[in-house]
Amino acid sequence: MKKTASYKTRVGLFVIVGTLLLVAALFFIGNRQHIFSKNIKVYAIFQNVNGLQLGNNVRYSGINVGTVGKIEMVNEAKIVIQMMVDEKTGAFIKKDAIATIGSDGLVGSMVVNILPGKENLQPIVSGDTIPTYSKIGADDMLSTLNVASDNAALLTSDLLKITNKILTGEGALGMLITDSLVTQDIRVILTNLKQTTKGANQLIVSLDEKISKINIEKSAAGVLLSDTLVGNQVENIVSNLERSSLDISETTQQLEAMISEIHASESAFNYLTKDTILPKHIDSTMLEIKAASKKLNENMEALKHNFFFRSYFNKKERLEKKKAKTSKQYKQ
Amino acid sequence: MSTSNTIVVKTKRFFEEVGDMTYFAIRFLKEVFTAPFEWKELIRQCYQMGNRSFLLVSVTGFILGLVFTLQSRPTLLEFGAASWMPSMVSISIVREIGPVIIALICAGRIGSGIGAELGSMKVTEQIDAMEVSGTNPFKYLVVTRILATTLMLPLLIIMGDAIALLGSAIVENLKGEVSYLLYFNKVFDALKFSDVIPATVKSFFFGFAIGLVGCYKGYNCSKGTVGVGEASNAAVVYTSMLLFVIDFIAVFLTDIFYEV
Repeated sequence: MKKTASYKTRVGLFVIVGTLLLVAALFFIGNRQHIFSKNIKVYAIFQNVNGLQLGNNVRYSGINVGTVGKIEMVNEAKIVIQMMVDEKTGAFIKKDAIATIGSDGLVGSMVVNILPGKENLQPIVSGDTIPTYSKIGADDMLSTLNVASDNAALLTSDLLKITNKILTGEGALGMLITDSLVTQDIRVILTNLKQTTKGANQLIVSLDEKISKINIEKSAAGVLLSDTLVGNQVENIVSNLERSSLDISETTQQLEAMISEIHASESAFNYLTKDTILPKHIDSTMLEIKAASKKLNENMEALKHNFFFRSYFNKKERLEKKKAKTSKQYKQ
Repeated sequence: MSTSNTIVVKTKRFFEEVGDMTYFAIRFLKEVFTAPFEWKELIRQCYQMGNRSFLLVSVTGFILGLVFTLQSRPTLLEFGAASWMPSMVSISIVREIGPVIIALICAGRIGSGIGAELGSMKVTEQIDAMEVSGTNPFKYLVVTRILATTLMLPLLIIMGDAIALLGSAIVENLKGEVSYLLYFNKVFDALKFSDVIPATVKSFFFGFAIGLVGCYKGYNCSKGTVGVGEASNAAVVYTSMLLFVIDFIAVFLTDIFYEV
């Protein structure tokens, strides 16, 4: 009888310990999944859930605040997920908080990350739908990488061609690298350049010394450099000069055109300037004119003394005298 | 000709045995719900099978967790995934390794014990004597033992799992400088109801199978002292096979019911 009682106690203890262990394990697991705490249901709509599963964690600011309760496909581009979020933590999640689906580590399961919203907005309540943001999926990344690797392959093949050409000494770059004469020339050029630079430096130093010796402020150069009025005047002069030179140039062009026109046409001037016989004719004509005018003068003198024309000439003489007298009085 | 005959005979005997065992199980299910109930014997058997097996299960579980962690550590370190050790160990032990290994150990200890005990009782005609004296030997000997294994094995498995996880935590604490709090935090982070509940449910079936096969083999023993040894041996062999069959069916059903 005593033995049976002892058995009972031991078996009872064994059963209680075992059962407690099971209950504790279930409680801890349930607690992790927020089964025993008060939850609020929050919804988010995604186009792609990237392998999210029921029971995956929901994180807010890095803390596990709930689990994914339901994943439902509404249409081909709309998947609604229901998140069971702990009521206490839900008070800190604002209505404009953004839900994203991410991976828990490199090889971890998927998680829903809720990014905090603005502080001045109302906290979420059960049944709210929060905005979402879809990150680039691994497939998209791989397709981009694929394009990039294709381009890299093309680029490397081109680079290979270029390096081959360079190695065989084709082109300017190849010659530069492979041709030893070019290298020598470059060395010579560099030496010359060095000497030139040295000379230029010396020149600059000497110029500097000379300029420093000049009394800049009182010299014409100083006035030119420092006086703004003179500067303006010089500017005006230069602009006027520019204008004048333009006018001169225009006039020259016109003259050139005129001269060329004269040369080209059969005008009297061209004839006068080019014909060599004409001056001789003119000379003889002039001599004849001279003789004729002498004779005309004699005739005119005779005409003055003629009876018919004498009164006219006398009258003319009187008028001239009168005019001379008037002008004399006016001057006085 | 003789070979084919042997195969046919053996196959026939196997099917007969399976049918016989099914009848034995049906008889158990009938007897378990009908009075009188042998409570004292049931508690005694629970003590024998539960409490007396605890030390063996504890040591095995502890070494299991310890060795499993030590063996997995270098591979996980190679992949830079040492932080996944608690998750991996807990899921492996709770879902599969713990229940199967502990059930196999219990099959060796309890199943063979039941087979040998009932077999010797049968050989020495104690069971017949019980029948003559008016006691129902099936109820007294078989029902209590099968019930005891069915009830005790899940508890042994839960305790064995806990001790195995403790062994794993000790290794992680010593080698990886992971605190016990962090270790068990990660363990419960990784575990889900879908890991614990199917494992617990299948452990009831494991216990039932151990008790049923042990009792069947012992109760039907009939070749003198040689038969006792054979019954004891067959109980272990058949139970081990049956455990893997049950495990396969359990995993298959879990996969169907808990598939996302």
